[in-house]
Amino acid sequence: MADNNNDEISIDRLAVMAEYEVSRRSMLRAGVLGVGGLGLTALLAACGTSNGPSHSSSSPSASGGKAKRGGNLILARAQDAVDMDKTMVFSNASIWVYVQIYETLTTSSSDGRSVHPWLATSWTQSADKLTWTFKLRTDVKFSDGKPMTSADVKFSLDQASSTKGGWEFINSAIASVTAPDPATIVIKTKYAWAPLLADLACPSNGIIPNNYGGRSKKQFYSAPVGTGPFKWGSWQKGSKITLTKNTNHWRPGLPYLDSVSWQVVPDDNTRNVMVQGNTAQINENPPLATVAQLQSASGVKVTLFPSTRTDYILMNQKFAPFTDVHVRRAVSYAIDRASLVKTVLYGKGTVANSLFMPTVPYYDKNTPGQSYDMSKAKSELAQSKYPNGFSCTYLASSGDTTDSAIAQVLQASLKQLGITMKITNSDPSAVHDLQNKLQYDISHSYWTMDIADPDELVQFAVLPSGGGHSFETNYNDPQAQAVAKQAEQTFDPTQRQKLYSQLQTMLAESAYLPPLFYQSLPYAMRSNVTGFFVAPTGLYDMGVVSIA
Amino acid sequence: MNYLAFVLRRLITLIPVLFGISLLVFFMIHLVPGDPAVTLLGSHATTSAVAELHKQLGLDHPIWRQYLTFLNHLLHGNLGESYQYKSSVTSLISQNLLPTVWLIVAGVILAVLISVPLAVWAASRRNRLADSAIRTIPLVGLGMPAFWLGIMLILLLSLKAGAFPASGFGTGTLNHVRSIILPGLTVALALVPILVRSLRASLINVLQSDYIVTARSKGLGAPRVVLGHALRNAAISSVTVLGVNIAYLIGSTLVVEKVFALNGVGFLMITAIFNRDFPIVQGVTLLFAIMVVAVNLLTDISHAALDPRVRLS
Repeated sequence: MADNNNDEISIDRLAVMAEYEVSRRSMLRAGVLGVGGLGLTALLAACGTSNGPSHSSSSPSASGGKAKRGGNLILARAQDAVDMDKTMVFSNASIWVYVQIYETLTTSSSDGRSVHPWLATSWTQSADKLTWTFKLRTDVKFSDGKPMTSADVKFSLDQASSTKGGWEFINSAIASVTAPDPATIVIKTKYAWAPLLADLACPSNGIIPNNYGGRSKKQFYSAPVGTGPFKWGSWQKGSKITLTKNTNHWRPGLPYLDSVSWQVVPDDNTRNVMVQGNTAQINENPPLATVAQLQSASGVKVTLFPSTRTDYILMNQKFAPFTDVHVRRAVSYAIDRASLVKTVLYGKGTVANSLFMPTVPYYDKNTPGQSYDMSKAKSELAQSKYPNGFSCTYLASSGDTTDSAIAQVLQASLKQLGITMKITNSDPSAVHDLQNKLQYDISHSYWTMDIADPDELVQFAVLPSGGGHSFETNYNDPQAQAVAKQAEQTFDPTQRQKLYSQLQTMLAESAYLPPLFYQSLPYAMRSNVTGFFVAPTGLYDMGVVSIA
Repeated sequence: MNYLAFVLRRLITLIPVLFGISLLVFFMIHLVPGDPAVTLLGSHATTSAVAELHKQLGLDHPIWRQYLTFLNHLLHGNLGESYQYKSSVTSLISQNLLPTVWLIVAGVILAVLISVPLAVWAASRRNRLADSAIRTIPLVGLGMPAFWLGIMLILLLSLKAGAFPASGFGTGTLNHVRSIILPGLTVALALVPILVRSLRASLINVLQSDYIVTARSKGLGAPRVVLGHALRNAAISSVTVLGVNIAYLIGSTLVVEKVFALNGVGFLMITAIFNRDFPIVQGVTLLFAIMVVAVNLLTDISHAALDPRVRLS
């Protein structure tokens, strides 16, 4: 990732570091040492060399001084948000907006590999591991001026647990939430549950006023109230959402900006042109094909933030040949991942070796995933029940260039093995539906994490209780399921690492869901935008962003 | 027969048209594979979550019952509620209608403003250099795809010259006018070659007719003859051509909307199709149908206004 730009990277990183230092000091002055949240996050962001974002810019902002106050920032993006209901909405375009309004008790670190306090300052756990007692910050107010208390927290968590067809699965381990006093919240779990702290950082567990502040649920989510750096402004659906500064926000001196707008600009070229012409300051996810061109534009910098997006090949086990582990391994060995990274990601990504991604805790870099090797592919197929190959159909999303590139690369390799692969195209919604109904042979999909714990992925990809048909493959491995279950209930990090390493190895050897590559999230922005940082979960805090 | 009775009769014939369209659209979009609940849930579409959402959205009923519910709502003036936005389709359409209407109107006005002088000039210089140039150069505009032409206009007139905003619709009428000029021009440049050719051809035709010879022999100057006598008669066929093209434009402004981030109903429609947001798709299709019928009606009326011999019946 932009290795040839080392000088610029360091200058830019210094700027980022200085920027965060200011925020950290102002927090220390306010005597909130206990909250590692922002300060620690920032330091990690600044110091991390392997996991931190790689900056490259044509004219790096070297403004090490105080962040400027004021200004209205416009973010151009391809898709509109759909709804502000944090318990029901899965679209990232919605989540990235409402996390500026609702905050959570905990938050994940900037490298995505640990969890820190946020609205909760500290917590203790009972000896039987089933009862967690959280101390809340006492200086937090909602944007309407009312103080946040444990009653609000209880209501928020209870709402997030009780929806149907929404995010309730995140809270499935929670038995009860009680509020013994205004600054304390007690959570009882049904069984020992290690991912709880990460679960509480999930945006669906954001804190909103008790009883929706006296409004109906629908009324509340049409103009929501929270404790975050920004408050509800206006929404012209299909065009633009604007949030304005929350003057009651608890972090001293934050936010810097007066308002943030997310403007829907569906055309890739137009979004790029807008940032070049300064009619938008940030372009959310410019296509990788245009990143090189943007990097050379004056006044624009491009940052590739490490993300949790991992792409996989799906092999449906309702299709007989894919029930044979040797066939699956043959297919996995036949995928030229390095050339996919070059052609699909323009070199801006890394070859995947594990179902887990390097940006989640317990990823094991030594996981023996298959890498491109046609002779191994041939010998695996020779050991299978289909030594002379077979025919199958690849279900591709029309208009998705990533998908069609993967399909073509795979088709060419499989042909050498004697496997004839046809490619059919459907539009994305139809592809998703057919995968969901297990009506395909082979296809492609991807995953992104919402919490800093691999359990979210494991539930969907391994455990039948997650209801995900093992990531739409219908794979069923009781041994792997047992290890996954045990890891959920193991608190000791060393022990948990051992279990997850074992699980990653088992899943890699079964080759039921060959991982392809790990991607980053590109953002293009004006050089004078400072403090903008995207965590691996895709979340960003507009509260610390300023325009110099 | 007066205009009012004619318009009323045409509006009544609209009802079976709309009914037919609603039937077609409803069953077509339900036949296409793809599930709104699965799209809403993204990678978290587990069987139980999908079933639960189907129940909440009323998708668990048989399709004929869903259609009857839709019709029932429609008769009460209710287009239903969007699955994605959870707000009423009527309000979503009215929020997004303005840029599309502005775009079509601006495109047509600019096209007429550019085409009429060019056609008159070409017709009066028949087979000379100016005529050949006017007949060929605008064809380039027809050949250029809107997404490319739009980006070029943005680069030249917005980024380099700074004369117009690059995208968006602005706030307030003045900003709307400023914002709509480039997209309007993009639409107009595709219309101009068609209009110029048809208007030029009919002008040449008219200029050879007897009453023009009479007008000339009366000693009238060339401008008077062309603008005063010939243009009005020549315009009749071009109005029909324009009407047909506007009807076509209504369904195809999407690309221009996309390039200039105008986010009108075209964009709303495409997003809804991809997300299988059935209520929006149905609502917008009905709206487009009404607009096409309205444009045809206006074409007929202006036809009659231009030519007193035409009787509306």
